[in-house]
Amino acid sequence: MVTGGTLLTQLLNGLSVGMVYVLLAAGLSIIFGVMDVINFAHGEFYALGAYLAVGIAAALSGVTGGFWIALVAAPLIVGVIGGLTERVTIRPLYGRNPLYHILLTFGLVLVIADGIEIIWGTQPKNFAPPALLSGPITIAGFQYSLYNYFVIAVGALIAAGTWLALTETRVGIIIRGGSQDRGMVRALGIDIDRYYTLVFAFGCVLAAFAGIVLGAKQEVALGMGNAIIIPAFVVVVLGGLGSFRGAVVGGLGIGIVQTLTQTYVPALTGVIVYLLMVGILLVKPQGLFGNPEWQNHGGEEGDLLTGGGGGILDTTTRRYLAAALVGVLALVPLGIGVTYSSYIPNSLVLNVLVWALFALSLDFVMGYAGLVSLGHVLFYGVGAYATVMMAMYVTPVFWVGLLAGVALALAVAWFVGYLSIRVSGVYFAMITLGFAQLAYNLVTKFDITGGSDGLYTGYDATYGLGIGEVGQVSLLGDIQLFYYVVLALVVGSYLVARQIMRAPFGSVLQAIRESEDRAEFLGYDTVEYKRRAFMVSGGLAGLAGGLATINSFGVGPSFLFWLKSGEVIVMTLLGGMGTLYGPMLGAGAFLGLKEILLTFGESTPGLLGEVLSQWQGILGLIFVVFVIYVPEGLVSLPETLQARFGAGGGGGGESATDATDAEVSD
Amino acid sequence: MAILETHDLTKRFDELVAVDRVNLSVEAGEFRSVIGPNGAGKTTLFNTITGALRASEGEVVFEGEDVTALPSYERVRRGIGRSFQITNVFGGLTALENVRLAAQSIPSREMSVGSQLFRDKNRFDDVTAHAQRVLEDVGLGEHAETKASTLAYGDQRRLEIGLVLATDPEVVLLDEPTAGMGVEETESTMALVDDVLAEQTLLLIEHDIDLVMDVSDKITVLNRGSVVRTGTPEEVASDEEVQAAYLGGGHA
Amino acid sequence: MRTDGGTERRASRRRVDRRDVLKAAGVAGVAGLSGCLSDIGGGGGGDTLTYGLLNPISGSYSSLGPFQRHGAELAISQLNESDDFEYEIEIARGDTETGASTATQAASQLVEQDGANYIMGAISSSVALALNSFALENEVIYNPGAAAIPITGASCNEYVFRSETNTAQIAEGAAVWTLENLGSDVWFHIADYAYGQSVLREWRSRMEASDAEFNEIGVSRAELGAQNYESYISEIQNSDADVLVVGSTGGDFVRFGNQAASAGLGDDIDIMNTTASFQSLRAGLGTAGYGIYSGVRYNASLTTGWNEQFVDAYTSEYPDDGAPGNFARVGYDSVRMTAMGIQEAGTTDPTEVKDALAGLETNSVLGDNMYRECDQQAMNPVWVGQNVEPDEGEVADVELIEKFSGEDAIPSCESTECSL
Repeated sequence: MVTGGTLLTQLLNGLSVGMVYVLLAAGLSIIFGVMDVINFAHGEFYALGAYLAVGIAAALSGVTGGFWIALVAAPLIVGVIGGLTERVTIRPLYGRNPLYHILLTFGLVLVIADGIEIIWGTQPKNFAPPALLSGPITIAGFQYSLYNYFVIAVGALIAAGTWLALTETRVGIIIRGGSQDRGMVRALGIDIDRYYTLVFAFGCVLAAFAGIVLGAKQEVALGMGNAIIIPAFVVVVLGGLGSFRGAVVGGLGIGIVQTLTQTYVPALTGVIVYLLMVGILLVKPQGLFGNPEWQNHGGEEGDLLTGGGGGILDTTTRRYLAAALVGVLALVPLGIGVTYSSYIPNSLVLNVLVWALFALSLDFVMGYAGLVSLGHVLFYGVGAYATVMMAMYVTPVFWVGLLAGVALALAVAWFVGYLSIRVSGVYFAMITLGFAQLAYNLVTKFDITGGSDGLYTGYDATYGLGIGEVGQVSLLGDIQLFYYVVLALVVGSYLVARQIMRAPFGSVLQAIRESEDRAEFLGYDTVEYKRRAFMVSGGLAGLAGGLATINSFGVGPSFLFWLKSGEVIVMTLLGGMGTLYGPMLGAGAFLGLKEILLTFGESTPGLLGEVLSQWQGILGLIFVVFVIYVPEGLVSLPETLQARFGAGGGGGGESATDATDAEVSD
Repeated sequence: MAILETHDLTKRFDELVAVDRVNLSVEAGEFRSVIGPNGAGKTTLFNTITGALRASEGEVVFEGEDVTALPSYERVRRGIGRSFQITNVFGGLTALENVRLAAQSIPSREMSVGSQLFRDKNRFDDVTAHAQRVLEDVGLGEHAETKASTLAYGDQRRLEIGLVLATDPEVVLLDEPTAGMGVEETESTMALVDDVLAEQTLLLIEHDIDLVMDVSDKITVLNRGSVVRTGTPEEVASDEEVQAAYLGGGHA
Repeated sequence: MRTDGGTERRASRRRVDRRDVLKAAGVAGVAGLSGCLSDIGGGGGGDTLTYGLLNPISGSYSSLGPFQRHGAELAISQLNESDDFEYEIEIARGDTETGASTATQAASQLVEQDGANYIMGAISSSVALALNSFALENEVIYNPGAAAIPITGASCNEYVFRSETNTAQIAEGAAVWTLENLGSDVWFHIADYAYGQSVLREWRSRMEASDAEFNEIGVSRAELGAQNYESYISEIQNSDADVLVVGSTGGDFVRFGNQAASAGLGDDIDIMNTTASFQSLRAGLGTAGYGIYSGVRYNASLTTGWNEQFVDAYTSEYPDDGAPGNFARVGYDSVRMTAMGIQEAGTTDPTEVKDALAGLETNSVLGDNMYRECDQQAMNPVWVGQNVEPDEGEVADVELIEKFSGEDAIPSCESTECSL
């Protein structure tokens, strides 16, 4: 029965959720519009606000009005932290492609999240609203949560205030203009860049405020930033990047739609938001209120910095190095029982190889066709699920499953590519993310995919040749045939990808990356080329996913979790994209570093061990430093080092000379 | 026989009519220049003819075929080439690779999937030879292995022309090929155009009136999106309406 | 040499060999990335075993993992000090993080590199199910810390021994009690994932089978990790239900509970949850938790079995943790009960211990216990309790209302999908 009262309650519920989205999305959207920064760390500033408020309220326990003091003070503190963050980390990156901000802010996410964990621990915090605001209230016979009224009112007030500031103050008008069309503002002779710190800090204040308001209603816990950032992005994209109006309409709209779906169409809960986003972007690629020309401002967008180009190592040297690396990898299993246990090759190195393949697949489209896929985990996951499901339901022959996984990943990539390749830049990234999230939600809904648990078979997949089980065929002692199978597939995939890049098809992809317009006016159907590249890439990712299921004994929804997409982007950039081998090295560096930090963290006693075991934060810090100083990735490191130290002859002497110079000049 | 025609070609951006019922008829082998004050709609006209923009009304007819609905790459394949006002070459690739890509475009349609995907791009001898020839023609033979972004500005403009040339176009639309060049460079570039594009039908957008008068067979004058006058340089120069609309100001 | 016991399914000779190879290699050479040289088994010959503690230290369940680990560590240090236990236990530690792939990789590290032949841990059922398979494949004994039914049900195997009370045991005790004591018009609200779905399934089937009156008023399903529950809460408020059974835990239930309290839901309807007695949930709920009924797996105030000495030892060893909760209890019991099997078998070889341990009468924190033979699930008693306002502070106390014995709470062997 849908009574007026029920509907009113649900609408109010939707508004109160939506209001929080508005606060988050407004900051996110303005930051993107003005600065071109895709700020993944926005969710962490939101969490930081909530935690700081808990801390302040606790410190003031006994003082009346502690909640209110925290509500004002915590956002301001977060604003200051945000401003400093912008100064120190984001400022050096302006003019680069927004992709680098993904890597940077991804690093910041890890750093801030670990910071929160170090300070406040892992236990969730209870942060109750003041007694004044708790419990339900009855107005004109209609009972409803007083705190939600408060959220709606205060959210509306802040949104209105922001709107006034954006329309009525000089600075606001400049910022708003800049977020819609930065070029125009510059053309008016205004230096929009000067306002960046302010904009970023202000966005953080709004996020922190949202965190406090929502934290008091839900809970303050680790992971709250992670939970909110994706919906917040959806709101921003849906409303239109850079549009305040879009953030308001999108935020309230999503809040209400989510709430009503939960009540009236429960089957669509969880997927409705992504369906909406994908649908709207396909029809109206700039979002509801976005500037339609925005995605065409390519000329201003900084270039993607691809690594390689040879660097200081000549082709022959690199070929020897590559052969040596493969040789070493082939010899690794021989060390079992001599210098290390079978864990190193059969688990650790194998995992690295699988991720290297995954990173290779991403580089194929990102580094060569300039397609930034934020949902690449979709193909990895699809490959994994199809492999396991074939093995479980159809035939236990692993290879058939693997082939099915690749085939399905190809098909899904074709479908996604068919729909979304023509949408460019950030919107493409968001559509792919939307599809990946849809898949993530879908596999948890059905029994055939194992629901939220996933499918674990004791994975008895055989080669189908009657010679044993995958991961179970020992060549000698613990030396596994499967290790060599994976090594061969990964090296083979690399060689195939490299050959494609040397062939006409690949050469056109590189042309598209350099200038899609120009390629089209040479007579190339660039959209079709990108679609095909996307399929190849999806197939490779599917292969990686299928191979990954062997060591995890099956597959679960975590195979489709969006953070994996983020990680593989990080690996690709870390290694040096546009080189094929760089991202593979990046995967090794990423996972190797993690392993080292974990191992030393566990075995080092005392404070140092504590610090080391916060491996995520350390990893994040490394990304931040890396993206600022070595944007072309690990593969460019020799070149960068030579440029910095090589000229003066002898790296060691250089710093000494600097020091003397400094003394003299004093 | 006209190789390229437009019939009442119109391009609107919301309220603004950038190209207003333009009728052009360009003969094969003709050197046509399009002139007009800033904002006259010259580049928009080019964009509409080449397919970068979709026409709002009217049609573009190339060699008797209506190409109005075709995407730009299909028009290129039929023989409409263009250069850009702002240098638009593949900066990260070598000069030779730039031209090779252009030379590969048309033959690539005939290649099997296998060779498209896996055969070394430099082992298509026709393509490579064609590219090298074009590179020599535009005077960049020595810079074959130089990264395009590190070429001198004038050389980048030459490369731009080389890119167009390598696709074997029938008609070439040149959007201010000498923009930002000094006198000497301008002359050598126009000499280059004259030299390497002698067989093609040319449409040129250019600001330098003297130069236009010098090289064109016919001139079309645009103002506020519509054609004011089309004729030989002499006819255009003596036309009062043209003088009023365009020459009247600075050149009186 | 060990025998493979020809009856084993998929007997995996190589994994056994692997450990032998490791020992034969003299261990001293093991370096690589390992910093855990001292943890590798083999120092004391056959009298030493290595327990791998594989708990979620980062990721979704990082707020609970450390308790599980502390419980297990306490048990191991007590066993090592005890004269009655003849073996020396060494510890290797790993982090499951959030997913099955990281967990199985960490497990490989513990088993292959650190020489663990027993592993304990995981809270996520997805991770535990992957480790089930891992344990079978590697022939190591595994004590899961997750409550999902398939772990000792459809996905059971002879290497898995579970001390955690499973969802079916709670339902067996508390479902009918709820009908008889709180009301017959029931609304189910679940987090729509394996755990929530199993709560719904188990509770509903037992309510339907009981003699008490039962009307299902409605079911609402929120996605796992949902942030906002108000639409469901409004729906429930507007229904005729007089009792609400909530099948969710962790942050999902904390957020639900806080929003329910804010909407005044508990004023009209009794709320019954399957895990609301957990310390972390009571802390997360604060005053919003008062009055909520709960299926109780463990409470520090019990006087059963080893509990009093466990609580004393735990609070003095880990004063920051407060009184031990269910996760610490599971860590502790898992190791202690398994150790009794090792003692019984007279060897540390898991292939032999597993046979000795199945059906062995042991003691536990919850009193006399056993991993019963048909599914190797511990026969834990369960309680129904209520969160009540404490004498001091804000975090609710748990008041136990009724106990159901281990025999009463465990479903019959025939009804499990496990065939051991």
